[in-house]
Amino acid sequence: MALRCVVVTPERTQLDREAEYVSLPMFDGELGVMQGRAPMIGRLGYGTMKLQTAAGPERYYIDGGFAHVEGDVVNVITGKAVPADLLDSEESRNALQEALDLPAKTPEESQLKSIAVMKARGQVRASR
Amino acid sequence: MANARALDKRRKSIRNIRKITRTMELIATARYKKAMDRAHAVTAYTDRLAQIVSSLSAAGTEVDHPLLQPRENPKAVRVLVLSSNRGLCGGYNAGILRAAVPRIRELKESIGNVTVDVSGKRGINGLKFRGIETAGNYTQFEDQPAYEEVDKIASGFLEQYITGQFDRLDVIYTRFISTSRQEATIETLLPFGSLDEGDESATPDGSNNTSQYEFLPTADSILEEVVPTSFKAKLFKCFLDAAVSEQVARMIAMKGATESAGDMISQLSMTYNRARQSQITGEIMEIIGGVEALEG
Repeated sequence: MALRCVVVTPERTQLDREAEYVSLPMFDGELGVMQGRAPMIGRLGYGTMKLQTAAGPERYYIDGGFAHVEGDVVNVITGKAVPADLLDSEESRNALQEALDLPAKTPEESQLKSIAVMKARGQVRASR
Repeated sequence: MANARALDKRRKSIRNIRKITRTMELIATARYKKAMDRAHAVTAYTDRLAQIVSSLSAAGTEVDHPLLQPRENPKAVRVLVLSSNRGLCGGYNAGILRAAVPRIRELKESIGNVTVDVSGKRGINGLKFRGIETAGNYTQFEDQPAYEEVDKIASGFLEQYITGQFDRLDVIYTRFISTSRQEATIETLLPFGSLDEGDESATPDGSNNTSQYEFLPTADSILEEVVPTSFKAKLFKCFLDAAVSEQVARMIAMKGATESAGDMISQLSMTYNRARQSQITGEIMEIIGGVEALEG
């Protein structure tokens, strides 16, 4: 019980608690963090963050941002962190459909579309 | 001498107004404290972002991003004006409009294509009255702007900026300096000047760059994300500053109103007492006059 997980959003410090293990949804896949991890700064994707705490597992949907690990403290800097139970799967599926319907005629548009799709997919997965 | 009854009526109505302004002052004070707490909370976020930026630059990453590069010969400009939804807050909205209108006129002359977005009913009406057309109107921001809403607007701006629909974004808002000082400020948020700007407070904290960070997936990829995130955080800070300033302005305006209502009441009380006294004196004189007439 030596890992501290802090989730910071622009509005408030959403979460600050001890955990045995934290699984972060990185930009290119999942990353598990346990006590004694080497310092790192990572880019987060859109997905589920899992925490193993003494009180049991917890899941949060993370909306991009960064992870900063140093000295057994995991700082998650994100725009939005929602407990996965509060996500509505119907709503997120609609969001995915909307994202898939976006135009992608220019390289810039297609980039924006792929971000929107990734975001929506992450939400759909987290809401299951 | 004025009618005593009319004076009393006036005094009563001023008393009622004083009650209202005092309540409004109390409400504004409570809201100001809440808004202030939120403004403090965002610094925890920006400090951590600044820490990431400083460790990125310490690792020797070239800080270069399309959002950071100034664009030559801007063809289209976007202006965002942050005002309040409600009035009775002193010179708050007037100050914003006084800063915004000349700037918009100047941009229209020099560049031509200017799109104006406004947040707050007062700003919408004020600009309409001055004959400036607005494209986007937002009225959902009260004393506690939600990040989600600001994020939507910021993403929209980023999208349009990247796809080249405008080349510059100016935000006109009231910057909160201290409780006794708020200034209408014009800030150019896009192109995004520098990442370290305004984060000097975080640098001494982040000077312990002895630890070598692992960058996942790469430092460049992180940078690609840091810049838009910093932009969003900065825009959110503008909204929070505007909200705090509005509440301070209202607090001070209502305090002034309560005080002058008090002054007016004491002045009216004096006049009222005099009027009543002279009325009584007049009545006594009449009675004495009547008695004398009977005796005579």
